[in-house]
Amino acid sequence: MANQAQSPATTRDLVVRVRDLHVYFFTDLGVSRALNGVSLDIPAGKVTGVVGESGCGKSVTALSIMRLVPHPGRITKGEILLYREREKQNGHSIVEEVNLTDLDPQGPVIRSIRGAELAMIFQEPMTSLNPSYTIGDQIMEAILLHQKCTRKEAEERAVDILARAGMPNPKTVVRRYPHELSGGMRQRAMIAMALSCTPSVLFADEPTTALDVTTEAQILDLMRELQAAMGMAIVFITHNLGVVAQMCDTVAVMYLGRIVEQAPVEPLFYEPQHPYTRALLRSIPHVGSRTKARLEPIRGVVPDPYATIQGCPFHPRCDYRKPGVCDVRVPATVEVGESHTVRCFLYTEQGEDNG
Amino acid sequence: MDKADLMQQELLLDVKGLKKYFPVQSGLLRRTVGTVRAVDGVDLFVRKGETLGLVGESGCGKTTAGRTILRLLQPTAGEIRFNDPKLGWVNLEQMSRQELAAVRPNMQIIFQDPFSSLNPRMTVERIIAEPLVINKVAKGQELKDRVADLLRVVGMRPEYMSRYPHAFSGGQRQRIGIARALALNPKLIICDEPVSALDVSIQAQVLNLLEDLQAQFDLTYIFIAHDLSVVEHISDRVAVMYVGQIVELASTDELYYTPKHPYTEALMAAVPKPDPRRRDRPIKLPGEVASPVNPPSGCYFHPRCRYAREVCSKEAPAFREITPLHYARCHFADELKLRGVVG
Repeated sequence: MANQAQSPATTRDLVVRVRDLHVYFFTDLGVSRALNGVSLDIPAGKVTGVVGESGCGKSVTALSIMRLVPHPGRITKGEILLYREREKQNGHSIVEEVNLTDLDPQGPVIRSIRGAELAMIFQEPMTSLNPSYTIGDQIMEAILLHQKCTRKEAEERAVDILARAGMPNPKTVVRRYPHELSGGMRQRAMIAMALSCTPSVLFADEPTTALDVTTEAQILDLMRELQAAMGMAIVFITHNLGVVAQMCDTVAVMYLGRIVEQAPVEPLFYEPQHPYTRALLRSIPHVGSRTKARLEPIRGVVPDPYATIQGCPFHPRCDYRKPGVCDVRVPATVEVGESHTVRCFLYTEQGEDNG
Repeated sequence: MDKADLMQQELLLDVKGLKKYFPVQSGLLRRTVGTVRAVDGVDLFVRKGETLGLVGESGCGKTTAGRTILRLLQPTAGEIRFNDPKLGWVNLEQMSRQELAAVRPNMQIIFQDPFSSLNPRMTVERIIAEPLVINKVAKGQELKDRVADLLRVVGMRPEYMSRYPHAFSGGQRQRIGIARALALNPKLIICDEPVSALDVSIQAQVLNLLEDLQAQFDLTYIFIAHDLSVVEHISDRVAVMYVGQIVELASTDELYYTPKHPYTEALMAAVPKPDPRRRDRPIKLPGEVASPVNPPSGCYFHPRCRYAREVCSKEAPAFREITPLHYARCHFADELKLRGVVG
């Protein structure tokens, strides 16, 4: 295994560190710059939210870390480090650093990590479950691949994890096919599958967007419970600010392939700094606010992904833009509070050229 | 229009006992083996100039109710009375196709998905002109001018009229759909999830546009949605549906802050609030939404209701007025102290 430096640490605060990640899609229509320098730390055992509108690169960020960027996308720059806890024979564990960007996306190392260390659940469980295999077979596949056990033991574990995911009658459900379950139950099955190998990071890509509000509440509650019990980190990708407020410890706000603001959840909602975050919070109706005040929409539209915007990507829609500054250079990321970073020329004069 | 004025307004639509059943067919001979009670006895009225929100989870029958009210679907039973500006009160459920053609210009619909509700082979001009041509309202240059006006009204540039729908973003397409619905100066527009396919920053633009148009053209909306924060924002009154029935109907404030039906209470508790300091646990609703093919006995909600008593599984509660203009379908609506959205 090349590119693995053993660090002396025995515990880890971070499970994943992403630095200056660029992912471009080379299509017939041109180059779509899906990620334009994303830096993100995923702390162990915490829920990190990634919010933004469609096309901002939330899903691509998760897929890049999993090394699952689909063709014709490529990581063109940056690095992704995974801090992996390994148990030593004397009972002590050590933390090793694996540079995921150096791995062959189809090679044995990433395959031993994917599903075991890094797991993912998706928005539409019906399209991510295989319709021709039973729920049990699909959960057991991952268990048999990553853990040394017999089929019988694997099935017992599948039943056990389904029960933990709140599935009624897990012993019958393992023999059921996905179409026999309701949307909420399918999402429970997906969560069970993802957690079957006790991963250290669970990427949840809009896991409740397709669900009704009462089912959504059940699934969010379940994820909170399982997170507390199993202690994995969750990266919660969503466009729903309500879900973010309810679930996350820290939040990263993305706009056009960049993280524009990152902060613990309370400051993000109570003292948002980036004009985009502020505008986003003002544009949504707040349930229970008792006001019939007009909403304040963000003007313009999310730009076309093939367009290259000179300067800060948000400047064409921004109320605070400074001519000659914001439309020329991209602002650097600066710290504005404890663990609170923002990328905007209101807070820094430093920037870099793009083009 | 403020609320007191609205209460004085005359009715535009009065629906009583509306039912829409679909047969479930199976086997080689397509024998009918059951019935989906998609809409199972809906009573509601809509005043001129108001917005009535219709909320509920997927499969509760809110879209079917909307389409049956417009007679896009033939009702199984019930009465749909519409106050036509020219014809006066008419019973839509009894009208023939020809008779309906005279009323239809006053009742329009905006659809959820702006990608599938616009014909990709037609230019924006033809899409918006179609209702004007069918109803022989205008032709030639007059038609073109009217389309240009409509585009301006929804905040788009008339120069775009020769383009095809694919050239526009989701929010712009929704504006085109709104322009088409406005073409014939309707009285009633049923908005079926008009913003749920749009990005959050675009939702606000379309919601504001709908509010402006309502004031400008004296429109009445039935606003069907599952997003409770959007419905609270836009509606004067709200109806909550569960398994084909309206379980509660009241002014928006009363319904959100002092609900009278346990299902409404559970819905309000389930909304994820965009405030990290208010992390309340949802009320656990056991089980799943009942099947409209085989609904439970008595109150349809009783198997999931935490306040259910013996009578609930035996007798179906009536939809009745609990306090003035606050209706609920629950045996214990008078005595239950339920939590609203902030509580």
